Amino acid sequence: MPNTEYLKIPRERVGVVIGKEGSVKQKIENVTNTQIIIESETGSISISPTPEMDDPLSIWKARNIVRAIGRGFSPEKALKLLDDDYIFDIIRLPDFVGKSKKAMKRQKGRIIGKEGRTRAIIKEMTDTDVSVYGKTVSLIGDIEKIMVAKEAIEMILEGIRHKTVYSFLEKKRHEFKLKEFQKTVSQE
Amino acid sequence: MAEKEKWGIANIYSSFNNTIITVTDITGAETITQWSGGKVVRADRQEASPFAAMEAATRAADDVKEKGIVGLHIKVRAPGGNGPRTPGPGAQATIRALARAGIKIGKIEDVTPIPHDGTGRPGGKRGRRV
Repeated sequence: MPNTEYLKIPRERVGVVIGKEGSVKQKIENVTNTQIIIESETGSISISPTPEMDDPLSIWKARNIVRAIGRGFSPEKALKLLDDDYIFDIIRLPDFVGKSKKAMKRQKGRIIGKEGRTRAIIKEMTDTDVSVYGKTVSLIGDIEKIMVAKEAIEMILEGIRHKTVYSFLEKKRHEFKLKEFQKTVSQE
Repeated sequence: MAEKEKWGIANIYSSFNNTIITVTDITGAETITQWSGGKVVRADRQEASPFAAMEAATRAADDVKEKGIVGLHIKVRAPGGNGPRTPGPGAQATIRALARAGIKIGKIEDVTPIPHDGTGRPGGKRGRRV
């Protein structure tokens, strides 16, 4: 049996993990067959298996879901991670912008864009969910598409113009569509 | 656990560039079989894909079953150190494929090397600049 997992999330997100009268926590526990213990004062969470758990990976799944919620996603979006094809990835902003608070603010703004335009375009072009929260940018989506979204965000962080990033995303989307088309053709 | 059942350890190293599966006996000293994503796909960029990991895992499972091992304990490892500390996309696929190939899964452990303050992360004060 896999062991208990421990993790910590920001205190202001604890309420979201628990949900209204514990509904979100209950749901995660039920679908993954785990037991989640939350210390709401510190935000530390332990996830342990229940005897009914048959899938050895569901502990990881529960951990990823809790972490995604802790990273600013809504529970509905985080529960997408139950699907095997979906993965969760975090980009740490300090690796790119350094310690300066001003630079962090600026780059977060660049990723989100005016009225969330850039973020919306990344979401739409790559079918991933993007959350900019604290010092991180987190992504939920299909593995191949996450790689594209990650590359796009890293391009923005490196100071490349938005226009260039959009056309990069457009190109990648076209490639994906082509691949999908070829797949359906070869199946028939 | 019955006494006659033979168990081994599957060491899974999963980065964003590749997935390497090394199956050893229970002591960890004798390697039974070794498979990687790069051994089953041609393109470099597919080495880390879940598909390659699954393929490698099923082949490793075949080798393992031939040797009469019924169950595997899992040690998962990400690059660690200065790099990413979460296992790449291949780790989950590998464990699932092993389980599906009819091998019992024992303990799952994360053995990612975490520095107790080692060398500094690349980047520096002003972050990564191009």
